[in-house]
Amino acid sequence: MFFFQTGKSIDLPLPKPKFSAVHLLLNALLRVFAANFNLRPGLKKYLRSDQGWIDFTIGMATDSGSVTASVTFKEGRVRVSAAIPKKPDTMLTLHSEGAVLKLLSATPTEQIFMVLKGQLSPWGNQSYLNLFFFLLSLLMHGKQQKQMEKERKKSKKDLLKASPRADTRLSDELAARQSVRMCAKDKDPGVTYLEEPYLSDLSLDDFPRIQGFLDIHFETRPQICVELPKLVTDWHKANGYETDNADNPWHPLLRKGHAFRHLMENRKPLIRKNDLIAGTTTTKEIGVVVYPEGHGSMIWGELLTVPHRTLNPYDLSEETRNILHHEIFPYWARRNFKEWVRARYDNPLCQQIDERFAIYFLWKSATISHTIPDFPKLLRLGISGIIAEIGEQLKAFANDPDKTAALEAMILCLEGLAAYSRNLARQAETEAQNETDPARKKELARLAEICNQAPLHPARSLDEAVNAVWITWVGLHMESTNAGLSLGRLDQWLQPYFAADMEKCFTEEERNACIRHAVELIACLYMRCTDHLPLTPDIANWVFGGSSSDQAITLGGVTPDGQDGVCDMTYIFLKVTEMLSIRDPNVNARFYPGINSDTYLKRLCEVNLITTATPSLHNDKTVMASLSDFNYAIEDLRDWSATGCVEPTLSGKHFGHTNFQMMNMVAALEMALNNGRHPLLNWKFGPDTGSVETGDFTTFDEFFTAFTEQFKFIIDQSIIYNEMLAEAHQVLRPTPLLSSLIDGCIRTGRDATVGGAKYNSSGAALIGLADVTDSMMAVKHLVFDEKKITFADLKRAVDDNFENHPAVRALVTKKVPLFGSGSDAAVAMADRIAKFAHDHYWNKPHYRGGRYTVGFWSMSNHVAYGTLSGALPSGRLRGKAFTPGLTPEPHASRNLTDNIRDVARLDYKNITNNIAFNVKVVPAAGDSREKTVDDIYSYVKTYFDLGGMQMQLNVVTSETLKDAMAHPENYRNLIVRISGYNAYFVTLNRDMQLELIERAEYGI
Amino acid sequence: MTDKHPLILDIKGNSLDDGPGIRSVVFFKGCPLSCVWCHNPESKKTGSEIAFDPAECVGCDTCLTVCPEKVLSRRNPFFIDRDRCTLCFACVDECPSGALSRVGREMTVDEIVAAVVRDKPFFDTSGGGVTLSGGEPTLFPDFLARLLAALKAEGIHTLLETCGQFNEAGFMEQALPLVDIIYYDIKLIDPDLHKKYCGVANRTILENFIRLTKSAGKGKFMLLPRTPLIPGITATPENLSAIAKFLADHDIKNAQLLPYNPLWPAKNQKIGIAEPKKTTDDSGNWIPREQIMAYQSIFADHGIAT
Repeated sequence: MFFFQTGKSIDLPLPKPKFSAVHLLLNALLRVFAANFNLRPGLKKYLRSDQGWIDFTIGMATDSGSVTASVTFKEGRVRVSAAIPKKPDTMLTLHSEGAVLKLLSATPTEQIFMVLKGQLSPWGNQSYLNLFFFLLSLLMHGKQQKQMEKERKKSKKDLLKASPRADTRLSDELAARQSVRMCAKDKDPGVTYLEEPYLSDLSLDDFPRIQGFLDIHFETRPQICVELPKLVTDWHKANGYETDNADNPWHPLLRKGHAFRHLMENRKPLIRKNDLIAGTTTTKEIGVVVYPEGHGSMIWGELLTVPHRTLNPYDLSEETRNILHHEIFPYWARRNFKEWVRARYDNPLCQQIDERFAIYFLWKSATISHTIPDFPKLLRLGISGIIAEIGEQLKAFANDPDKTAALEAMILCLEGLAAYSRNLARQAETEAQNETDPARKKELARLAEICNQAPLHPARSLDEAVNAVWITWVGLHMESTNAGLSLGRLDQWLQPYFAADMEKCFTEEERNACIRHAVELIACLYMRCTDHLPLTPDIANWVFGGSSSDQAITLGGVTPDGQDGVCDMTYIFLKVTEMLSIRDPNVNARFYPGINSDTYLKRLCEVNLITTATPSLHNDKTVMASLSDFNYAIEDLRDWSATGCVEPTLSGKHFGHTNFQMMNMVAALEMALNNGRHPLLNWKFGPDTGSVETGDFTTFDEFFTAFTEQFKFIIDQSIIYNEMLAEAHQVLRPTPLLSSLIDGCIRTGRDATVGGAKYNSSGAALIGLADVTDSMMAVKHLVFDEKKITFADLKRAVDDNFENHPAVRALVTKKVPLFGSGSDAAVAMADRIAKFAHDHYWNKPHYRGGRYTVGFWSMSNHVAYGTLSGALPSGRLRGKAFTPGLTPEPHASRNLTDNIRDVARLDYKNITNNIAFNVKVVPAAGDSREKTVDDIYSYVKTYFDLGGMQMQLNVVTSETLKDAMAHPENYRNLIVRISGYNAYFVTLNRDMQLELIERAEYGI
Repeated sequence: MTDKHPLILDIKGNSLDDGPGIRSVVFFKGCPLSCVWCHNPESKKTGSEIAFDPAECVGCDTCLTVCPEKVLSRRNPFFIDRDRCTLCFACVDECPSGALSRVGREMTVDEIVAAVVRDKPFFDTSGGGVTLSGGEPTLFPDFLARLLAALKAEGIHTLLETCGQFNEAGFMEQALPLVDIIYYDIKLIDPDLHKKYCGVANRTILENFIRLTKSAGKGKFMLLPRTPLIPGITATPENLSAIAKFLADHDIKNAQLLPYNPLWPAKNQKIGIAEPKKTTDDSGNWIPREQIMAYQSIFADHGIAT
């Protein structure tokens, strides 16, 4: 029965239902709800899609069974019953009667917190759950909006009370960082054309066009765009989904190919006013893309409230709302990844765990995306060249229907992309004819020429190359969700086209103009990348707050043959990064100690100082060494790029879904402390591994084994779910366009989703390494080694959130050597945990061949998972954020050098999906730019010399962050590194802002 | 002067303010001077002490039960009756919060080197090294020389902070060849005032300085005289002019003025010293920037950059 899914053992006898007052109230209210929909035509119309009535059933009950009710929607009638039918589509279980009352008046945000806090557990079809919430909000949204407004006002009032006056010295100091710019003291061997590689004479003031785009970026409210789902849904309605019009089952690849071509041929070819790059991902200035087979319908419940929510509000027109509700979401209610798995595998345990949020989150439930396409090939061959190559291969596979379908689907997608490019060319021509400003007229005419050349044919200039990259980028984002798809080594790949342009210059003046144009063009590309945002249901504002789609660009490092890769374009990208200081694209810089220059590393430090948070810094040598067991060809390995946040992908050859999951390691620790039960969820689903209270653990190793057993269990469940979702992707969303741009897929005639790529893997992000390590150190050191406290006493203090246990809390926080303090034992503990994780994932078979990789970075899940976790033996209190990535606890050491040494000496063999190590440094007020940069450089360089893998800086004081929290209007462009990605500080949720403020701060 | 094993107060890593680059600072315990403004009061005595930090105390009272002499009391504003305390450190060992701590611990040369050498990669990248401070490191000439030799053997850059009150013979032969930079405090020129505020006359200090200026000319080490700006004591136009003249007479081109830190009185409380009387009316405030610039100009008038 349904409500056993909350984790109550199935063998427990059901308490006898007694009809409480709440039971009667709920049923009465639901009857009012039903009557409204049955009797008011203005509401009844919402029960209908363009294909007929939407039929589904929702059940509701309390844990104890004291309240039960169900609502059945059938053929336009709403019926309420106190009994629950045998198989409701969706079941809501509430942990108490109070929660029932709360749910009925909750805002969408409050509903989320009820789920997160374990007060409400949904089970079953989530599309229908969201639809039910939408129908509720049709009655309640006036009240919900007022409530949201009230909360917003109160929170603003509290902040202003704490900090009534803005400290403009702080915001001015940040702004002033742009005005001082160093010159390069030296030139890297790969720099041919730039006289002064830092380009210190250029600033944003030189580019009014870009300044205009930046204003739009910061001042435009994003809008939900239905172009993609509307075109695709209409195509499917006309041509079938499961079967075609002749009733034959569709081959998923061909279906995708045709639908994609239809989409690309028919979407509007838009050129943003004044832009040097043609094409947009949506029809809006800043558009939110809805992917219906992914997580699109998660916004269903918020269609009336999303413009009013506090975090990340979007606008949507009434027409958009109606199209989504009547035409799109009903069609996909069962045709999306989660529901496909639920139906096929009967709501498996692995999926139930995922949907409780506290243990793991599978990104595959929304998308795969995270990879790097082979742009060099596209630029070299053009679409025409790639189609010709596929055509040749088709002959070889003439007798294999699957391979033929895979290749034909690629051609269909490439044809769609070509059609879009030609449409853009026509659009540019038309606009050029109508343009009255002669300068712009010329640009538009040029743009028409460009779009007729690239990406259709090989690129010949930087303009053509950049437009080809962007137009293809648009196509890739029409094929799969905008989350973590990454651009790769654009400095390396665009350098030949920049060089070709420069070689055509004969005078100093022409050369300067050409360099300036390159800077402006790349700035346009960055701004293009901001034209779309991922669809963020409010729950994701709490779990992945402030994240854009994380389009990583990778700079520097070594070339495939091992030479210094830093070139002119590297510095041009860094100049643009410095001038724009925006969160996305997510810029990552590779540095190879001993090969890349100090000039380059110092520039990376300076750009971090000016922008406060970017680029992220990677040690090329360590990243490559960590992947040495994978048998990657060395020249491919040297061509790695960061993906999404920080994760390595071998560019253009590797389908490495590098963020298939976010895994909460602390959950395994909590389950080990509670014999398989997760305390917040109050759900025992892990194995029996022993009880602390009854003294089952006589040695530390026994307890460590309990932890690894629980960890194994949740890893295994998450991998089962990953493979089920992978199957859903193969059926619902193969990616032929992407496959045509990943080495191996054409050769093998296989889509990337079924293992066509040359290299395959899936990457996990494991969260809470420092918190688990420190907790293990506390248990080992205080309970088993020094015997300062019994395990049961420590457990009691943890269960009580250390309230009334001040001495225990003091002991665990002050007398335990922590990770990041310089303690050999703590580093060994961190290695032991990482090694266990690495080995266990490594040994799991992978559905596409290849391996599971593990990394230690957290996006913003260290905050979200922290909210969902109890107190820990480390002394961390209930609900507090974990540390970001594998960053040591702020109180581990007062010395940044201890932190750096400990992170640098981890065994990186166990860390195959990179890390995020946050360091917050604060420049001294009186120091010169050179001195400050030298100081930052000293830490970064030493960290790399010691073998550290990745470091990301926040060069901002807590004082400034506090000011920004209360006075966001002065800090619209303040970017901060969360854990792997950048966000605008003022758009973050409160918990995330506090976590950033509380991070250790080191003066320099 | 005693040359037993010194106690080490603290080794502070990752310092950017105690010489060039990233440095580790080794604080010796014990000082021949007793400056009234001393902001490291715990470094004055050579012997071990117990410190109590009420801000860290969680009130578990474990210490009250373990103290064999029963000298701890919450009614005592200093918490510890130091006249009766035998320094057995039982309370420190059992204190869970670290509110009770041992001030000064014995460390061998090897232990000190091991503690600082971990950060050698940072020294090397940043042009940093180890700074020996105190207290007064020269109070232990043999140990100092052995420590310097061991640091040099590791290839570590060394900086010595000294008040100048040392026995020159041993110092010049043993320690000086192993020091890269000397920060040399010259606080007051007037011998009577020096005696009044620092506990000893300044003859040795000035003589030692003059000797060092002669060696410094040979380029083996760098000598930087420093003057702490104490309102009403050292930070007077008369004293600063006299110091600047003295330095100019000995061909010194660079010196440093150390801004006064008004936060020092709170530290005394922890080791059982009543908050000292304010030295002047201004002692609770930072010196304004314009005032510091005025002091700098006194030195500039003598051709000395600060």
